[in-house]
Amino acid sequence: MIDALMANIIWMAFIVIGGVLISWSVHFVPVGGAPAAMAQATGIGTGTVQLAAGAGLTGLVSAGFMMNVTKDLPLILASGAVGAMIMIAVTMIVGTWVYVYGVGCVPSSAKVKVDPITKYRQDLYVSQGTEGHGLPTVSFVSGVIGGCLGGIGGALIYYSLIEVGITAGLSVGASTSVTGNELVGIAAMFAIGIFFVNAVIPSYNIGGTIEGFHDPKWKKWPKAVISSFIATIFCAIVAVIAISQLGGI
Amino acid sequence: MEPLIGMGVLALIGVAATIAGASEDLESDVGSQSNPNSQVQLAPQMMFPHRIYNKAVSGEPPSNALMCSVGAAVATVLISEFTLSPLFALVIGSLVAACVHGTFAVTSVLGRSASQKRFKQPIYLDMIRSHTPVIMGYSFITTFCILIVSYMMTVVLGHPFPLTMLAFIWGITVGAIGSSTGDVHYGAEREFQQFEFGSGLNASNSGNIVRYGESGIRNGYDNSWFCAKFGGPVTGIAFGMTVFLGSWVTTIFDPAKGLTQGWFSVIAGVAIVLILIIWNWKIEVEARKAFGPYKEDKTEEASA
Repeated sequence: MIDALMANIIWMAFIVIGGVLISWSVHFVPVGGAPAAMAQATGIGTGTVQLAAGAGLTGLVSAGFMMNVTKDLPLILASGAVGAMIMIAVTMIVGTWVYVYGVGCVPSSAKVKVDPITKYRQDLYVSQGTEGHGLPTVSFVSGVIGGCLGGIGGALIYYSLIEVGITAGLSVGASTSVTGNELVGIAAMFAIGIFFVNAVIPSYNIGGTIEGFHDPKWKKWPKAVISSFIATIFCAIVAVIAISQLGGI
Repeated sequence: MEPLIGMGVLALIGVAATIAGASEDLESDVGSQSNPNSQVQLAPQMMFPHRIYNKAVSGEPPSNALMCSVGAAVATVLISEFTLSPLFALVIGSLVAACVHGTFAVTSVLGRSASQKRFKQPIYLDMIRSHTPVIMGYSFITTFCILIVSYMMTVVLGHPFPLTMLAFIWGITVGAIGSSTGDVHYGAEREFQQFEFGSGLNASNSGNIVRYGESGIRNGYDNSWFCAKFGGPVTGIAFGMTVFLGSWVTTIFDPAKGLTQGWFSVIAGVAIVLILIIWNWKIEVEARKAFGPYKEDKTEEASA
């Protein structure tokens, strides 16, 4: 067991880096939680974990597809990032349609007086009794950055786990059956699990709502990143032992 | 694979995803799930008892992921062990998932309403009887379409993930999208129609949801009727776009043909994202012009 861990130490390091990236990425995603669903807070109207996981896992699907045809790590990471970015950008643009055309409110932030990117005044456009609504440009850009980092993190974890399995003697031969390949299945399952662990940890920092990198809460990210670093080490140990033992059985 | 067949499969996947997104959002409107349900749950405590189906089994992504995974697991067993035709297997899987979801919906609404007895919230048995089949119907459509998407991706496009895993991931994604797009239309507009259009919900109005319908007392049907005009379809477009664009870049620039093609697909994806950022900015500018500042007096103070 110790041998397996020592042999895969480099992949474990990659898994930990991936986990830390996911944890950091969640801080960028502009989530407003339940208040945003009533246009009462700036951001996307859903929970932190849910949205980060939705974007990251879409990236995982893209990365998994890419990994089926190439072994080039930068390309796999880039495709994971693109998949997650597309998901989160599409969600945000359609969210903007609903906020502007369905609810009739202007995208505005209550945390800053002017949008750091467009330099537009924000405070005059916040309707009474709310903490902003919709997605101003700065939140949109921040969300895309978050999706990018999360996609890279998820893809890195998945890639490392597949490499651990290959080292242990398992194969990733292409399969067109509904049951799929056992190594791919277990690696994806662990990647999703590690993703959720690292998406939950930052939500204690965020406490329901964050508008993006211009939000004062964003500065708290080192706490979550350190916690994720420690948590992902344990996750990596369990995942590497489980997958490398699978090859031995 | 022939590029033309690839595009055809992709088109079919996009259509199935669009239907899945729309029905997912309408399911959450008729049963009132996810974040807007916080107001439905709050209403009796603010002395506004209502006749709206109050089911929040869990957040939408986990609930949809459960539905789709149950359906996919049943379908996988039927296809691989009983060599059943995939179409039958997917239908039966979705049917089982709809039944599981119906069970959760009933237990959830009974439990939630019963816990509000001290606020004089009645349990309307006729409403539970009439709404639950609709909820199950929508969840059947959602699950079936997600299973079609996952099956196509696994078997035809050769995605390495097992069917159940893909269904789980798309379930999480459709729930996240539905909860962040279509539900806003239900939560911010439909639930609070008695307040002036064109602003977010004032915190002091929390819980004061509309309880009277176009005819009689408002129920979940009325909400899904309204949201089917905008919230549902845009959710469908969002999920369809996510699934379609995510696969489109690798179908046009097939990474199997070489690294350069792979990097082209990445560039195409980044270009799409940049276009969406600019589009959002254009809408923001348009909205600022159309709706104008909300606090004019403060502008004068600031400029004075």
